[in-house]
Amino acid sequence: MTFLRSILFFILLIQLFFVKSNGIDEEFTEELLLKPLPDRKVLAHFHFDTKTPPTKTYGHHHRLFPKAIYQLVQKFRIREMELSFTQGRWNYERWGAFDSMSSSNAKPPGVELWAVFDVPPHQVDANWKNLTQTLSGLFCASINFLESSTAYSAPAWGFRTFSGKLRYGALPREAVCTENLTPWLKLLPCRDKAGLASILDRPSIYKGFYHSQRLRLLSNEFSLDASAEAPGIVLEQTLTVVLQPHSHDTRSIYSDGRLLHPSWSISSIFGRAVAGKCVLANLSTIYVELESGVVSALNNLNVDLETGGHGADDMGSEGSWSNPGFELSVKPERVIKEVNSSHGKSFSILYEYSVDKYGDNEPFDLGFIWKLPMAWSCLHSPFHASRFLMGSGNQRGSIAISLRSTGSSSEGFIGGGDFFGDVCKVRVDIFQVVPWYVKVYFHTLQVYVDGKPELLKDILEKMHVSPSEDKVSPGVMEMVLRFPCSVKSAAVVIDFDKGFLHIDEYPPDANQGFDIPSAVISFPDFEPRMHFLDENSSSKSPMLLKLQEKNPVISYTEVLLVPLATPDFSMPYNVITITCTVFALYFGSLLNALRRRVGEEERFFKSKAANQTRLLPRLLAKLRGKQQEPTQSTSSSSLGRKLTLKIVLVAGVAIGWHYYTDYQSS
Amino acid sequence: MASNKANLELWQSEFICLFGRKMSLLILLVALVVAATTGKSNAISSASFSSSSTMHTNNWAVLVCTSRFWFNYRHMANTLSLYRTVKRLGIPDERIILMLADDMACNTRNNYPAQVFNNENHRLNLYGDNVEVDYRGYEVTVENFLRVLTGRHETAVPRSKRLLSDEGSHILLYMTGHGGDEFLKFQDSEELQSHDLADAVKQMKEKLRFKELLIMVDTCQAATLFNQLHSPGVLAIGSSMKGENSYSHHLDSDIGVSVVDRFTYYTLAFFERLNTYSNASMSSFFNSFVPSLLLSTAYYRTDLYQRPPDEVPVTNFFGSVMETIHTDSSYKGFSSKRTSSAKIEMPLDQADETERRTLTSTTAETHRTETNVEAEENHIFHFISSIWNNKVERIEKIDAVVNYGLVAMLPLAALSTWILC
Repeated sequence: MTFLRSILFFILLIQLFFVKSNGIDEEFTEELLLKPLPDRKVLAHFHFDTKTPPTKTYGHHHRLFPKAIYQLVQKFRIREMELSFTQGRWNYERWGAFDSMSSSNAKPPGVELWAVFDVPPHQVDANWKNLTQTLSGLFCASINFLESSTAYSAPAWGFRTFSGKLRYGALPREAVCTENLTPWLKLLPCRDKAGLASILDRPSIYKGFYHSQRLRLLSNEFSLDASAEAPGIVLEQTLTVVLQPHSHDTRSIYSDGRLLHPSWSISSIFGRAVAGKCVLANLSTIYVELESGVVSALNNLNVDLETGGHGADDMGSEGSWSNPGFELSVKPERVIKEVNSSHGKSFSILYEYSVDKYGDNEPFDLGFIWKLPMAWSCLHSPFHASRFLMGSGNQRGSIAISLRSTGSSSEGFIGGGDFFGDVCKVRVDIFQVVPWYVKVYFHTLQVYVDGKPELLKDILEKMHVSPSEDKVSPGVMEMVLRFPCSVKSAAVVIDFDKGFLHIDEYPPDANQGFDIPSAVISFPDFEPRMHFLDENSSSKSPMLLKLQEKNPVISYTEVLLVPLATPDFSMPYNVITITCTVFALYFGSLLNALRRRVGEEERFFKSKAANQTRLLPRLLAKLRGKQQEPTQSTSSSSLGRKLTLKIVLVAGVAIGWHYYTDYQSS
Repeated sequence: MASNKANLELWQSEFICLFGRKMSLLILLVALVVAATTGKSNAISSASFSSSSTMHTNNWAVLVCTSRFWFNYRHMANTLSLYRTVKRLGIPDERIILMLADDMACNTRNNYPAQVFNNENHRLNLYGDNVEVDYRGYEVTVENFLRVLTGRHETAVPRSKRLLSDEGSHILLYMTGHGGDEFLKFQDSEELQSHDLADAVKQMKEKLRFKELLIMVDTCQAATLFNQLHSPGVLAIGSSMKGENSYSHHLDSDIGVSVVDRFTYYTLAFFERLNTYSNASMSSFFNSFVPSLLLSTAYYRTDLYQRPPDEVPVTNFFGSVMETIHTDSSYKGFSSKRTSSAKIEMPLDQADETERRTLTSTTAETHRTETNVEAEENHIFHFISSIWNNKVERIEKIDAVVNYGLVAMLPLAALSTWILC
């Protein structure tokens, strides 16, 4: 026995050794990025990243990777999946639209889910349906409403390029609250008990202007050509919140009318400070980002101060953590500067703090103190997209997507636009899903450029449409448009008819209207990315890697609320009552007229009245008689009845027997 | 109307399986009656067989808030208060099915995001950090509610959304919303009728999904919802009698709406004093409702429940207090455990299931069951003879009848022969 055990132990040791020697292990990193926004708000972006090596080399048991997610990947053979819960709308004009932060973390309101499966095409739908059910149980949300074929679609190329195996669905009106965040946090190895996640105080998060919790899965478990450098499963969890710091400062308004941005600290916006790292995390870092707009504003300020003769100090130099414009309460460990920026001369700056050395006794509370009022603007996407409804009444209407060129785009177009011959053109991809009860007529598609209608063939490069089918599938529209770079504004308009639902299909609050999920507008020509100087350190951090990734600029449009003609839900009951009343009146009177004989009735009543008077004493007598010997009388009567019955029976038997014998004898 | 249609479909789909079960149950009942009339062991009524012989295994809670819209904030607060109470008294989240018809915590009209209060002092945030809502929003429908109770889900529905109770489960079913005479409104668009509820409970009983069930309803005319219940093992508490309204307790001027109903408020007042180890009985809970404070008469129905309510602790339903079995020796192995459990769980002459189980175990066990079967056969013989005797006795009493009959037969026979001749 002991020998066996020792052998087992030895095998285990060898296995451990091999695993170690491979150098691949599960990894968990936690990062937080804080960024002041131009409209006096603060963006907090949490990024948790869990990696596990492929099952082939690592096995089924995991130390850090959440089992629920691992089973999900294995069961439904997921190659890629993204689930987001969002409340509020990302303000593309003020919070940025031209960086990887906005293109990957700005999500449509409600729930958005898309997944790519590694199964034969005919199994994809079944897997999708089961996946939605499982996710609804896992995240306490009604994601299972995406199960019905009217709720999801299979985009061909407009959303992402996975033909056939991608499914996309969105629930714009899904509520997002604590019950969704808690299971999401439970996937982290330290949950919300330690590390950066411990500062996620629910009331302060949900008080914010925007919050989006996202879960992204990437796995190459099932692909045949598994490249060596790619890890098995990567689980990326991000939470993006836009919060309003409270300004206690009364002297925030300066003489020139400009407002001083409110100063903030981690404890003031979240209610608590970071009490150390999660011990299981390989990396636990907090960054403060100053976007290029702030940096250039600071530079201008420094220049102003120098020219104004205030005596420039060394701190005023670029990238310092304490300068005339603002001050950080803790000295950063490292300053990462962006180089080779694609936009202009200014570079954004990242201040890095490691949470390793902080603990319960000495919590990490970073403060950001503004000293001078400052104004800057964020980077805009080439077009600002918005979507709205036109028309009135309950019968028809049209959906319009309007694209407005953001002023500072001319140099952007040169960088991003493609040249067709001599003409500079900019590519715009539109992906839009409409529910079946909004019956879109695709032939009515019209494109307006700078207010004038254009021929469709001049603008439309590629289009894929799958028309909706009543109560079966939604309508999907994928388009590639190319506009000339000089365009100021453009609009895409399409007409629709409003359909009728069955009375059972209306939701309980049908009068509120029906939602059309956000359309996705992307600009594939523009792929903003950040370049950081310090390559070896930033390569370790998944969040910085993410920021340096090339992603096309994406923006989601507004959710549309379409009022549909709602029936009078009490109508069936009204109809039933009215019909019944009419029938009763009709038949009642008819029967009365036909059958009633008044004289007869009067006679009957008279005789009845006479009977009643005579009946009463008789009844009383009967009662009295019964009262004397009720039991005996009943028993005797029953006996008598039984007796006669038996006699009849016996007689019958006798007669039968008699006949039988007679028949036999004769 | 829509709900009724859905219900009808539901009933139809499993009628056959139920029927089969019913037949087997009938056979079992007949066997049981035979066994009981022999008078060997404790003569128990056929209906209470399953509930009195099986052990209490676990506790479940189904908490339903059926009202949508912000002005029904109090119904969600009611449900969440009960959720907090049962969680505090030991029922874990995976055994609580929480149905909330609307999102109040993160509602845009809520001044306190991600928080729900049931008192204007705002001392207790009911939403907390760790709330698990299983059905929410549009998912709270009569159909889903009946599916949860009867356990007839689609195959893909996750475990967290199912009521996975067994024949030893004690279930607390709490419902709040707007109701009327024998109905309860769901989402202001469909109704659950007292017949639907009674049918669901009956089906749960047939499917051995509970041992004891406490239905607690806080609506107007709540008592009428229990009118059709017939299944044994069911206790019911309603906030008001027929013709009475259930009122809210107080208004929170910060939130702008009423935050709790009177019946639930006084229920909570009763439970706040208790912990898992308390021995407060169900009848003390029933008696804690004062009509003058409630502004309605709390109604409780105990006629379907076998045990006297003054002996049943409230933690029977609101907590998760398990009975433990003390064994003389430590855990030995599979077979010994099996025999002992058979000994504990059911008297040997009651169910054929016991026989099946014991026959497959050790030889000593089979020997014992054989003798048992013999004994049972003897008893059957005795039983038949006793019936015969009874009959004979009754006939003797009317001995004269037979005599009369015989006498009367003679002239008739004579008459018939005369006719024939």
